[in-house]
Amino acid sequence: MTRGAILQIYLPIAELPINVFMIFAMGGTVGFLSGLFGIGGGFLLTPLLIFSGIPPAVSVATVTTQIVASSASGVLSYWRKAGIDFKLAGVLLCSGIIGSAIGVWIFGILRSLGQLDLVISLAYVTFLGTIGVLMLGESMKAIMRRKSGKAPAGRKPGQHNWVHGLPFKVRFRRSKLYVSVIPIFGIGSSIGFLGSVLGIGGGFMMVPALIYLLRVPANIVIGTSLLQILGTMAVATFLHAINTQSVDIVLALTLMIGGVIGAQFGAQVGQGMRGEHLRLGLGLLVLLVGLRFAFNLIVEPDDLYSVSVIEEPVK
Amino acid sequence: MRQAIHSLTMLLTVLLLALISGAPVLAEKLVSAISSSHVAITSNFTGTQILVYGEIARDAETVSRTGNQDVVVVVEGPLERVTTWRKDRIVGLWINATSQTYIAVPSFYAVHATDDLRNIASEDWLKQYRIGLEHLPLAALGTRAPALERNAFKAAFLRSRVQHGLYSQMSKSINFLSPTLFSTTVDLPATIPTGDYKVTTFLFSGGVLLDQQEQVLTVAKTGFEQVTFNLSRQHPAVYGTLAIILALFTGWLAGVIFKKD
Repeated sequence: MTRGAILQIYLPIAELPINVFMIFAMGGTVGFLSGLFGIGGGFLLTPLLIFSGIPPAVSVATVTTQIVASSASGVLSYWRKAGIDFKLAGVLLCSGIIGSAIGVWIFGILRSLGQLDLVISLAYVTFLGTIGVLMLGESMKAIMRRKSGKAPAGRKPGQHNWVHGLPFKVRFRRSKLYVSVIPIFGIGSSIGFLGSVLGIGGGFMMVPALIYLLRVPANIVIGTSLLQILGTMAVATFLHAINTQSVDIVLALTLMIGGVIGAQFGAQVGQGMRGEHLRLGLGLLVLLVGLRFAFNLIVEPDDLYSVSVIEEPVK
Repeated sequence: MRQAIHSLTMLLTVLLLALISGAPVLAEKLVSAISSSHVAITSNFTGTQILVYGEIARDAETVSRTGNQDVVVVVEGPLERVTTWRKDRIVGLWINATSQTYIAVPSFYAVHATDDLRNIASEDWLKQYRIGLEHLPLAALGTRAPALERNAFKAAFLRSRVQHGLYSQMSKSINFLSPTLFSTTVDLPATIPTGDYKVTTFLFSGGVLLDQQEQVLTVAKTGFEQVTFNLSRQHPAVYGTLAIILALFTGWLAGVIFKKD
């Protein structure tokens, strides 16, 4: 047996061998960044897997499992610090499950139409591009403000926006909120949908949405968002296992181990950095991933043709 | 008594000779075998090789004939349905626009031969026995595309398969160990699909098919890989639940190990 063969492990669902250390390092790097920025990292991990030759369907489905693991340890630590609004997480989760079920269903249809790659690419370009630019702008402003010596604009009590005028209001004690369930349902279901189609947890979209739209307090927002992501991704894993049958448990485990270790180091480094600098870094990262997908769509590919095997072997 | 022993020895010698040279035949006969009829995909599977070998058995009459003999070995994987897509530029973006679907193409296909295929037999023979990449029947499903377009798709499909090591065609790759003994090794890459493979050995002489032999090669996942794959297909709900439990456990374990006090 050659040395290269020892490093290889055969993935039973993806049906190809892969270098264990490469996957371990990918999980570790993304875990480090997720610990650093306080994100799930699915939006980085899924493209990395796709670009390294793992079929998009397997990448997306398997990353949902990996996110369950990475958010589970986060949920535990926020739970201990009482940093979770269970009622809010519950409402978000119910809507997330609906969104995720629709996502898995559409995922299957797109795969049979041969347009899954396109939709994944377009969605990455759109969402990552938009959010990357917004984050960059916001963090640059914050850095400029700090330089010019002005106090950062914090949350003013009693400050309301259009969201707070909507009907079907519900009280969330832990978050000290009294808001309509409509925007909560909207946020939860759209992130659940994107999560199952794109293989992302959506924490980097969920947290800003909860802060800016719903005015959830900062000490509650991450724990609550993590719990919702945990629930939605667990459901997405289950639905992918049944519907697309492309969850690779060996790949998921390798990613998880690398990820949880990397996350610990990332969190330590992140504690010594300023919030706006972290957001600037994260914004750049998000934008770069988006641009990478845009590049693939715009530049003429080397080979215009691609071959895809249709499941269900010929009898 | 002595005569009896003598005649028994004679009989044994004749039998032995018959065994060595093959049964008395009127024309060339082919005897072929593969080194292993099972390929097991385990966790450290990175591809393998199989040896196809055999003997051309012939009688005195055919030896004197001066036609050169050629051997062709074809390894064919289970059939599958495949779609080839072509990207076109639509509103500035490269998008899968047109496709052709082949309903029953081999998932793996390798041809080894003693010479260039066109020197071995005529197009008709090669087409009939599906020998050679360009002779694979690639009929697109319900297409009215012009021949030029169909050929472009066919070429792209074959190119992709060759690049991934799933299709190959090698002339002069079969070695003759003696005038009648031949052998060749066929590479099976790590990404080979599972299922029953057909290994067919053809014997041609002067452009005419004299004999053919077929063996079955089974490629299957074993052990953990097999259990995992079967579980994911036969009991997807159990598989999904296990994946979630595994993820929760790993997350919890990490939380416990790295807990800051």
